[in-house]
Formats: sequence, structure tokens, C-alpha cells
Amino acid sequence: MPVTSFSLPSLPFNRRDILIGGAGAAASLLLPSLASAQTKLQVTEGNVAPLPIAIPNFVAGSPADGEVGVGVAQVITNNLKHSGLFAPIDQAAFIEKIVNIDAAPQFQSWKAINAQALVTGRMTRQGDGRLKAEFRLWDVTSGQQLTGQQYFTSPEYWRRIAHIISDQIYERLTGDKGYFDSRVVFVDETGAKERRVKRLALMDQDGANVRYLTRGSDLVLTPRFSPSTQEITYMEFGQGDPRVYLRNIETGQSEIVGNFPGMSFAPRFSPDGQRVIMSLQQGGNSNLFVMDLRSKSTTRLTDTPAIDTSPSYAPDGTRICFESDRGGKPQIYVMPATGGPAQRISFGEGSYSTPVWSPRGDYIAFTKQGAGQFSIGIMKPDGSGERILTSGFHNEGPTFAPNGRVLMFFRDPGGNSGPSLFTVDISGRNEQRVPTPGFASDPAWSPLLS
Amino acid sequence: MKVDKTLVASVALHVLVIGWGLISFSARSLEAPPPESMPVDIISADQLSKITAGIKTGEKDKPKPLVEKIADARPVDDAVGKITEKKEIVTASAPEPPPKPVEKPVEKKPDPPKPVAEDKPKDEPKPIEKKPDPPKVDPIAEALKSEDTKKPVSKPEAKAAPPPPPKPKQERTFDQSKIAALLDKRDPTRQSITGAALNSSASLGATRGTAATLSQSELDAMRARLASLWNVQPGVEHPEELYVTVRIRLNPDRRLAAPPQVVSSGSSARYQAAAEAAVRAVLQGQPYTMLRDETYEQWKYMDIDFDPKQMFRS
Repeated sequence: MPVTSFSLPSLPFNRRDILIGGAGAAASLLLPSLASAQTKLQVTEGNVAPLPIAIPNFVAGSPADGEVGVGVAQVITNNLKHSGLFAPIDQAAFIEKIVNIDAAPQFQSWKAINAQALVTGRMTRQGDGRLKAEFRLWDVTSGQQLTGQQYFTSPEYWRRIAHIISDQIYERLTGDKGYFDSRVVFVDETGAKERRVKRLALMDQDGANVRYLTRGSDLVLTPRFSPSTQEITYMEFGQGDPRVYLRNIETGQSEIVGNFPGMSFAPRFSPDGQRVIMSLQQGGNSNLFVMDLRSKSTTRLTDTPAIDTSPSYAPDGTRICFESDRGGKPQIYVMPATGGPAQRISFGEGSYSTPVWSPRGDYIAFTKQGAGQFSIGIMKPDGSGERILTSGFHNEGPTFAPNGRVLMFFRDPGGNSGPSLFTVDISGRNEQRVPTPGFASDPAWSPLLS
Repeated sequence: MKVDKTLVASVALHVLVIGWGLISFSARSLEAPPPESMPVDIISADQLSKITAGIKTGEKDKPKPLVEKIADARPVDDAVGKITEKKEIVTASAPEPPPKPVEKPVEKKPDPPKPVAEDKPKDEPKPIEKKPDPPKVDPIAEALKSEDTKKPVSKPEAKAAPPPPPKPKQERTFDQSKIAALLDKRDPTRQSITGAALNSSASLGATRGTAATLSQSELDAMRARLASLWNVQPGVEHPEELYVTVRIRLNPDRRLAAPPQVVSSGSSARYQAAAEAAVRAVLQGQPYTMLRDETYEQWKYMDIDFDPKQMFRS
């Protein structure tokens, strides 16, 4: 996408801060000699509360840019608020009105409303028709500019700019990569329960810009994003057996992955996007196969008289986790990506399914069924540290945000209602509903777009 | 009968085994309370000399009121280690006492380090009692017996006057009388402790005196304040790596004298974010009104550790 970025230099008045920093450094040189009389204080309990942040409307560089300035601030506010790590302050409480982002804000007036961070920005339509977006992130307590960037893009991509700025803020304040500049592919469901129409749909992570990729004539399931290309893979019930398809979301072209007798399902890309791993039905059983998308060569990974399915690669591509009922009930196993001995990692009550490896590698998310409930949980790849994040009548299909800190899944309340999408932090906090036009299921989170 | 014997034997064995089991398995594990950090000053020779200097001035002022607080003055002197002062006084005022100065410095030198170490962790009265007892047993006892209150008064302040009486008596005395003297002496020392605090008020903050020790309640209050302001993110990866130590220097008005310094190190972006969150908490927490003026020397410089590890145990 046509977005170019440049970093905004610190404002000149920041020299004062640098001087203070220099004095502090000098003081630190002196401190060691005086450190003998120092008292130690240990703080081991903190406040797990969202960070108060103020996001005034972006300044309009020209009179025509007022609307987009408001829109960008709203998108950023919404993103940060939904992350659960930030508490955007109501604009009605603001004391200072930001009119010029090239001057330092009056930090006292932002401290007064308990803001710890402040975002100022400006949107300006350029002579060549492009849109310039600038923003600065301030630490209110120390008065430092934490980051500043400017971007140029076509005006229709202003939401994307807002997501990119959100990611910058998130990354600077948490130290983790953001996930706002990403998309979600899911199965859109409309119509009565007995004649539900299921279409493949694509939207921004926050629910905006919904596009439909299929018309709903054929049933689609388990769409998955390629980590590196504009492609998705999914399972479609066409004429005959359901098959795994590959579709380019830009051109709309699709093709069947491989030419196998019988049903193929539960596809997922390898981390490099060059291969697709999936299940093939063989009699009453199913086994795992991996297919190279270029050479079309297929490799069998398991050969058991059991149902092996839902494979998912570790982010480094060396191992896979999958679901198998070889031990009786469905459980999660881990094995080398090239095949070999599999090790069972789930040992709790009930059955485990749909494992998916976190993009940061530290957890495997799963659906757990037992005691009449469907739960979403995570465990470490060695099976330890199992944590249930949500439970209920029907929760299923977890997918990780690109930074591995948030999970999206779908929940069906039962009855005549239908499923909808939710996000939850991997700590189990901050469950949020994701807005969709209708019922929605089977979400899959894309990698970061930029 | 045989059956009975085996029965008895088995019962006895069972009782033994069960009893042993009860004793050995029912033992509760010793739960060690989490160690609380205690503020401790390590005083260098320079600082000690400074402290003594401060006492010198105090002595100059004292001479007039000395009579009333006779007993008090001594312990203060001993603890601080006023060797230099005494020497000076001795030389200036009285030629006779030369032997005394020799005795006193020797005795007193070992003492000063002890009080420093003992005072802070432990209670006030004990260390002070211990110090005066061994060295001055004889003179005090004699003084009390002979002149009651007057002699002790004279010794601490005017060191020239007291010397003569102690010398002869120090040489030989009855053991019983010594014991009595010890007992007698303890009472005055206790009183003197309180008195000593009053006298040495100027030096309280620096050297000793529990009143000048940063209390746990002060530290707890400061810890609670920082905890309420320290923003910790849930779901962060490897929280055990995000251990941040912030060094601060405070002015007497309880505000930061300089920007907080992060003295621990980490290279990741997550660490930087954690360090900034810790600094924000420290900046927001000022002024630290829970800290008392008397303890300023102890909270002037502080190292504050922010350790989120315990919050993420699961």
C-alpha cells in the first residue's frame, strides 16, 4: 500500500530536556561515591491498570482536513482503548486545545487531568493530492517527546495511517509490536439458522472496511492468512468432496491445493508462506501432509490409524502442533515439522482441539471441550502453564494477533442466535466483542501489513 | 497367650510407627517471613570524623547545662568516639591526666564501630548500655558512691576535674562493690540514654539514635505510593527480565533533586518501556510526604527496585 513514512525530529525546545539529562548523567557519575548511604526500596506490586492517554483531535493543516483529523484521533482512541492497555481520556476533560503540534504542549494542563501520555498530530492535504499525517507522542510526566513520525499516503487510506500511528504508540509505550495495522478474514453468516449463507469476508482488525471474498453459493470454513503474501487458504464444499483452496485476495483467483482423492481440510500456511500443511482423509482416519506451493510436492507427516488434524507451525518453522485422537480423546501433540515422534502436551480433563501456535512462540492456544462447556485457553509448548481465558456454551477457533498478546475467537450463545467474534488478552483480561455486519465465525488474524 | 503377645507386639509396633509418623510428618515447615529490607548506613572514617566534629560543637554549648544531664553526656561521648576532643581537652586543661587519655581512647575505639552496627537493626537502649559499661565501670561506681551526682557530671564535660578520683580506685576494688557499681550504673545509663538523645540532638540524624532511623512504616508508605502509581502491563512477555532499579536523589522538601536515573540495564524495547513506567511512577509520586525530616540523611539517596515478577506468577 502506498504509505511512506519519515521520522519527525524532536522539537528544538527539547534541548532543555537534553541538558537536564546531561546533568542527570553527571549526577549519576557522582552518585556511586555517595551510594554507600543509600536506602534500598523494593516495589513488587504494581497497578495493572490501563495507561491514561490523551488523544486530542489531530490539527487540520488546511480547513478541509478537519474531518479526517477527527477521524484519525477516533480510530487511534478506539484501537488503544480496545487493547485494554490504555485508557483514553474523554476529550471533554481536556484543558489545553492543541493548535500547533510544533510547539511543546503545556504539560501541566495534561498532568491536571492525569494523562501520562499525550498524542498530538496534524493532517494536511498536499498540493499533489496526497495526505500528510504527522504525530508526536509525549511523556507528560517527564515532558519528553517519545516518538514522532510523518506519513504520506492517498487520502482514502487515512484509516490505515491511523492504525499505523496506533501501532507506533503501542510499541513505544509497551515495548511490544502493535497489531492494529492488520486484517482479519472470517466466515460471515447471514440468514435463518437452517439456511445460513456463509461467505468469506475480510475486514480491518477493528471491524471496518468489510469486503466479501465469496458470494455464498458454496460453504466455506477455516480460512487462514498467508504470513507473507496476499493469499488465504481455506476449506470449501464445492461439487463433491470438500477441498483446500488457495485464493489471492487482491485478484480473487482461487485454485485447489493439491490433487488428492477424498477430502482435504484444516489447512494452514508455513511461517515462510511457501508451504501449506493440512489433513487428508484416508478411510476413517486422517493424516497430516505438507505441500510445497511451488514444486507441488507433497510430504506425508503422520501415518496413524487415528484422526490427526488442525496442524499449526511454530513461528520458527521447526515444529508443528496438531490435534489427534490416537490416545482416545482428542489431545494436542507436538512433533518436528519434518515428521517423527509426536509428544502429547495436553493432559487436562476433557478434549483439546484447534491448537494454534503463537507468532511469538511462547504459547499454544486451543479449544477445550469438557463438562458441557467450550473454553479457549493457552498453554506453553511443553504443555505447562495451561490457562483458560474464557468458557461458555460454545467458544472456538482461537487465532493470535500478530504480536501474540491478543486472541480472537468466535462465540455462539446457542438458541436461534448466531456466532460473533471476540478478542481477549492472553492474560484473560479485557474481553471485547469485535463488530461485524452479521454473524461471524472462524476468524483468522493476518500478520502486520507493514 | 501367644496370640496376645504377637498382638501386643503388633500393637506396640503400630503405635511406634504411627507415633513416629505423627512426629516426623506432622512437623510444620518453618515459614520464614520474607526478609524486610532494613535501612543500614555504612559509615566511613570520614563520616565518623565529621560526626565527631559535630559533637565538638555540641560540647561547647553543653558545659552550662551539663550538671543536670550528667549521666547523659557520657554515653553520647563514648558512642561517638570523641577521642580527638578528649585529647584536646586533656592537653589544654589538665597536665595530670595523661594516663587517662591513653586508657580512654583504647577502650572507646572498639566501641564506636559496634554501636553503628548494632543501633540500626536493634533497639536503642541495649547498645548504649553495653558500650559504657565495660570501660567506665570503676570510675562511675566510685563516683556514685562518693559524690553521687556531682562527679559524673564533671567527667564528661570537664575532663580535667574527674581524673584524680578514678585513678586510685580503678586500681583495686572489691568484686562485690564492682558488681554493685555495675547495677547502679545501669540505671543512670538508661536515664542518660534519654538524656543523651536530648543533648546530641544536633548529631541525631547522622550517627545514631533510633529516632533518626528511617522506619519501616515510612518505607512501607513510600512503597505503597509507588505501587499505586506503577503501571504494569498484563500479558507482557518474560516479566522476570523487566527488573528496573531507579536511583533518586531527594531534596529536603521531598521532591526529586534531579531526574531519576535508571541504573539497571536492559536492551529490549520492552525493558525501555518498563524503565519509563518506573520513572513515571517515581516522578508522579513526589513529594514523598511520608518521609520525616529527621531521617533525611537516609532518604536523600535511594535505590528503588521495581520487580514485576511476583505479579505474574501463575
